[in-house]
Amino acid sequence: MTVIDARQLVKRYRTGGQTLEALKGIDFALEPGEFVSIMGPSGSGKTTLLNILGLLATPTEGRLLLEDRDVTDLGDRKRTLLRKRTIGFVFQHFYLLPTLSAVENVEVPRLFDRDRNRRARARDLLTRVGLGDRLDHRPDQLSGGQKQRVAIARSLINDPKIVLADEPTGSLDRETGRQILDEFRRIADEQDVGIIAVTHDELVNEYVDRTVHLVDGELGREQLDA
Amino acid sequence: MLERLYRRFPAVLMAQRNLTRTKIRSMLASLGIVIGVIAIASLGMFGVALQYSISENLGGLGNQVTVSPNSEAGVQNLTERDVREIRRVVGPDVSVSPEKRTVEPVSYDRGSNRTEVVYGLSDPASVYNATEGRIPEPFQSGVLVGETVAENEGLQPGNTITVNGSSMRVRAVLESTGSFSQLNPSNRIYLPVNSFEQRGYQQVYVSADSGTEANESAVAIRDALNDREQRVVVQELSSIVDQVNQTFQVINTVLVGIAAISLFVAGISILNVMLMSTVERREEIGVLRAVGYQKGDVLKVMLMEATLLGVFGGLVGVGVSTLVGLAINHYTLDDATALFRLANLWYLLAAFAFAVVVSVLSGLYPAWKAASEEPVEALRG
Repeated sequence: MTVIDARQLVKRYRTGGQTLEALKGIDFALEPGEFVSIMGPSGSGKTTLLNILGLLATPTEGRLLLEDRDVTDLGDRKRTLLRKRTIGFVFQHFYLLPTLSAVENVEVPRLFDRDRNRRARARDLLTRVGLGDRLDHRPDQLSGGQKQRVAIARSLINDPKIVLADEPTGSLDRETGRQILDEFRRIADEQDVGIIAVTHDELVNEYVDRTVHLVDGELGREQLDA
Repeated sequence: MLERLYRRFPAVLMAQRNLTRTKIRSMLASLGIVIGVIAIASLGMFGVALQYSISENLGGLGNQVTVSPNSEAGVQNLTERDVREIRRVVGPDVSVSPEKRTVEPVSYDRGSNRTEVVYGLSDPASVYNATEGRIPEPFQSGVLVGETVAENEGLQPGNTITVNGSSMRVRAVLESTGSFSQLNPSNRIYLPVNSFEQRGYQQVYVSADSGTEANESAVAIRDALNDREQRVVVQELSSIVDQVNQTFQVINTVLVGIAAISLFVAGISILNVMLMSTVERREEIGVLRAVGYQKGDVLKVMLMEATLLGVFGGLVGVGVSTLVGLAINHYTLDDATALFRLANLWYLLAAFAFAVVVSVLSGLYPAWKAASEEPVEALRG
């Protein structure tokens, strides 16, 4: 079973009088527990693809299936709900809320739910990514790698099926980048979460199951990496 | 406790943290609200105090009815029979004071004679209190003077004055009543009624305990005495009091309305602050939407910020206004505790409620703007 299945995705933008085709018919599928990187130069459509897979944007053409359910035409409300339940996000610039502590940041996606175990679960997730002693630190008291771990813990609070990472190592030095990638690898293996990382960073390819190359909105050859 | 509040209302947590992030800015936005609340509440309370002090000066004016002979119908005096009739129809709870009036030469302390109006009352002890001396009961000899007369002429009980050639001993100085009352004795000289040659009375004062009672008395007197011919003119003064009160109501409303403008300005400053903050926090809001916040959730957080600004500003404003109100009441009424009257509390409450409403309304547009931002656009920076 695939967690996410994209079929012939096309995305066109209209800028001024011109129509720009960012994606030109992409077929892509992800298995549970699979760690895939999407590589490509700037402007190749990586982020657009990630946004569509993450239900943040809708394709102009093609279908998107999430756990075998067609989610292409859902409205904003339903997409938001589905995003919350099944997808976690990790960003290049972490995007933690500077006013909240580490543990509160992890809780953010569930903050509006009635959930007695929220705090305990957030602590547990932070402990698992090695931040058990930084629970009440504010983001400005954490290093880049620590911030990204908080972000990873946040992406896991809702038990997602997929984690989408946009340049997760982009703001980190090489050593810290490795630690973060180790973390992703472990999450994919232990929790059966499918991970898609959009990146420029060749380092990522040492950790993934598969790399997809995207050039000018089209998929290049796939490399199998054992 | 705060922890529990946050747990219960997570929007409060996020809003409060966001506001303390830019402390000065939030304080300034709240300051506008504080000033607005103080303006509204203080002016409102000032109006209440003014109105109260005026109506205190008007005294029982609204409770009084005057009955005079209808000279147009040829009636010159009110007879003893008329007075009895009036007493009968108004009942035992309403005081009736028939008054005689004449013009006599009066001299104080061997000075030259002056022609003055002197009054006659049969039972002054039932109407007035003495500040000095004692009002005789029954009042059959001597003279009573009002406070102003006593002060101007240096009179006290025991002195004598000359009225129409005969010396009379001052028995008492009468205490003033409300300054606008027709019964105010302050400038008057009272003689016993038996010293008047004329029969009948020039005027009868009827004082009830309330405006309604006065009105009922007036109706009863008209029915009884003007049955066959228009013998008397009955004047009610409650309509004058009503007019004065209405005028003050209007003045007060205008003042409070002007003060309300300052709250609108405060609202605009909240709008401004919130708009800035939505622009600055675009990416954060984008992340919230990405991790599964519905538009309504973002709206809630932003509106909560505006509400907190309003509640905080409102509370501080009410606090300061209470102090201002105590001062106003202390200086205008000599009684700071007069603040705790319903009308004042109402103004405080209204100013607070208005502050919160204005804040929430000002927050609506920025909150809506933040909530309807496309997450993809917001995250692109």
